[in-house]
Amino acid sequence: MNNLRWMWCVVRKELLDIGRDRRTLLMALLLSPLLTPLLLMGVNFMAEKRVKTEMDRVLDVPVIGAEHAPNLIAHLATMGINAVDAPADLEAAIGAQQVDVALEIPESFGEDWAAGRPATIEVISDSTRRNAETPTRRVRAAISAYGQQVGALRLLARGIDPSVVQPVAVGTRDMASEEAKRGLLLSFMLPYLLILSSFIGGAYLILDATAGERERQSLEPLLATPASRGAIVSGKIAAACVIGMAALLLTLLAFKGSAHIGGGSSRMLDVSFVAMAKMLLVLLPMLLVGTSLLTLLAATAKSMKEAQSHMTWLLLLPMIPSIVLMVNPLKTELWQFAVPFLAQNQLLLKVIRAETIDPAIWAVYLGASLALVAALWGLAVWRYGQEKLAVSG
Amino acid sequence: MITAQQLHKAFKTKTGTVNAVDGVDFVAEDGRITGLLGPNGAGKTTTLRMLYTLMKPDRGQVLVDGIDASQDPAAVRRVLGVLPDARGVYKRLTARENIRYFGELHGLSKAQIVERTRVLSEQLDMGEILDRQTEGFSQGQRTKTAIARALVHDPRNVILDEPTNGLDVMTTRAMREFLFKLRDDGRCVIFSSHIMQEVAALCDRIVIIAKGRVVAAGSADELRDRFNTSNLEDAFVSAIGSDEGLLA
Repeated sequence: MNNLRWMWCVVRKELLDIGRDRRTLLMALLLSPLLTPLLLMGVNFMAEKRVKTEMDRVLDVPVIGAEHAPNLIAHLATMGINAVDAPADLEAAIGAQQVDVALEIPESFGEDWAAGRPATIEVISDSTRRNAETPTRRVRAAISAYGQQVGALRLLARGIDPSVVQPVAVGTRDMASEEAKRGLLLSFMLPYLLILSSFIGGAYLILDATAGERERQSLEPLLATPASRGAIVSGKIAAACVIGMAALLLTLLAFKGSAHIGGGSSRMLDVSFVAMAKMLLVLLPMLLVGTSLLTLLAATAKSMKEAQSHMTWLLLLPMIPSIVLMVNPLKTELWQFAVPFLAQNQLLLKVIRAETIDPAIWAVYLGASLALVAALWGLAVWRYGQEKLAVSG
Repeated sequence: MITAQQLHKAFKTKTGTVNAVDGVDFVAEDGRITGLLGPNGAGKTTTLRMLYTLMKPDRGQVLVDGIDASQDPAAVRRVLGVLPDARGVYKRLTARENIRYFGELHGLSKAQIVERTRVLSEQLDMGEILDRQTEGFSQGQRTKTAIARALVHDPRNVILDEPTNGLDVMTTRAMREFLFKLRDDGRCVIFSSHIMQEVAALCDRIVIIAKGRVVAAGSADELRDRFNTSNLEDAFVSAIGSDEGLLA
């Protein structure tokens, strides 16, 4: 009982302390809620706009040997693809990104065409350039549509039903739910941003209250009071979690707000209150892991500077599962929910896609992450018990 | 009452083991001011840290009001008021909030904290600074805040590590009066200093420490008699065997 009282007392003091530091508090609380929705909406807006303009705008495509296939050129023109004269050095122009995609029609085209042999057309582009992707796809689609159309006409001319050469018709039934479709873009960035802000959400407070307290020489008097080391550590961690939770809640509310203001594509940021509650439940253990890890690191560091230098690699940690998943998408399996960062990523995806989460998954997730928290907490308390920590100078 | 029995403490450093405290023995009675006098680096701060349970002695025993510090450190900390060498106060909190925080950690009620803050601020003359944030406090104002914070729970035993360090003459005089007041309340007061005049003016009993050992102990008069000198400084020099570290 006494331990709880001490802890509560430390929590109040740390919150009062950071509350006096207005600017830092505002940065900790408002930065992520303001920046994250803007970032997501901006990226989304840009992506949508690009696809739209690339699909609709009239493409100017340099064509070498346009005179060999006038009908094809006329067909392309009806689909908004204009043939223009090719620059002298086409390769250099593509290299300099002046040209996205070009066509080369060889001299033999007319001859092959007339003889009914496959006539060759070359589509020239740089496949590693992402902004050339859409134009190239458009040109390819237009040419192959033209090819199919002419092929069908040729069969008809010979008295054959064109469907004869289509023994299989492939249809697609997309089982993705509406939420999942809407959340496709969200699923790339939102988990990373949320995991990052929960992982380091309490960082400022905990660094200041651990390494900072030691550097300012107020730790020795504090440890000379009867309060137990465990209660002091827990109080500091709890205070950092309060700040981190507040920042997360504000971030999620900001998503909701911007979804209503923005309209259109930002609608996909709309997160229901139930989903928000689930996300907070997923992120709370992450917050605890982050702050207890930082407590341990900061208590082991010799100075505030050294403690802050840990931030560099800590910022990279939450990125790892996102990168791994990008390269090597995983099927959901139970063990994944015991791996920090990966678990949060998968769970947040489930919440965004409005899938139901199995009680077994919750059990594995909460059990594993709370065990990790307990281990880190134990190490931090052990560190607080060492003589070296208390003696600052 | 605080008893130190054969305290030993060694630190490992890169160059080898340093015996910071190497057999310190003394008794600090209630209603007395006991001064630990010694040159810089003699082991005073390490000795005090063992008294207030921040460090565990390698050997030896600390008893505070009969409680063994190694058995029940929390109970010892409850009956001790400590002004450590490191006396950082929380800059963004006011002096009053600094005092309140420690009062709460000692388990005092709100009313008790208010009352103790009033009494201590009167004794330490803190009226004007009590509700200011301690950022920008002078050394003396910081020390006063730290002392009030350390004594908020009205402890029977008081340990002060170089309390007059960096204070001006007027503040030092006020501090001296305050220490006498603590003694006259019947408390056990231990303080450390390397300043001869201060120890002579304040202490009922002087424990001279050099190189981690107690080299002499007694009242100022006893020490003068024992080393057959007319002033305490000479007694001190003959006790530690050199005048090294005396010039502060």
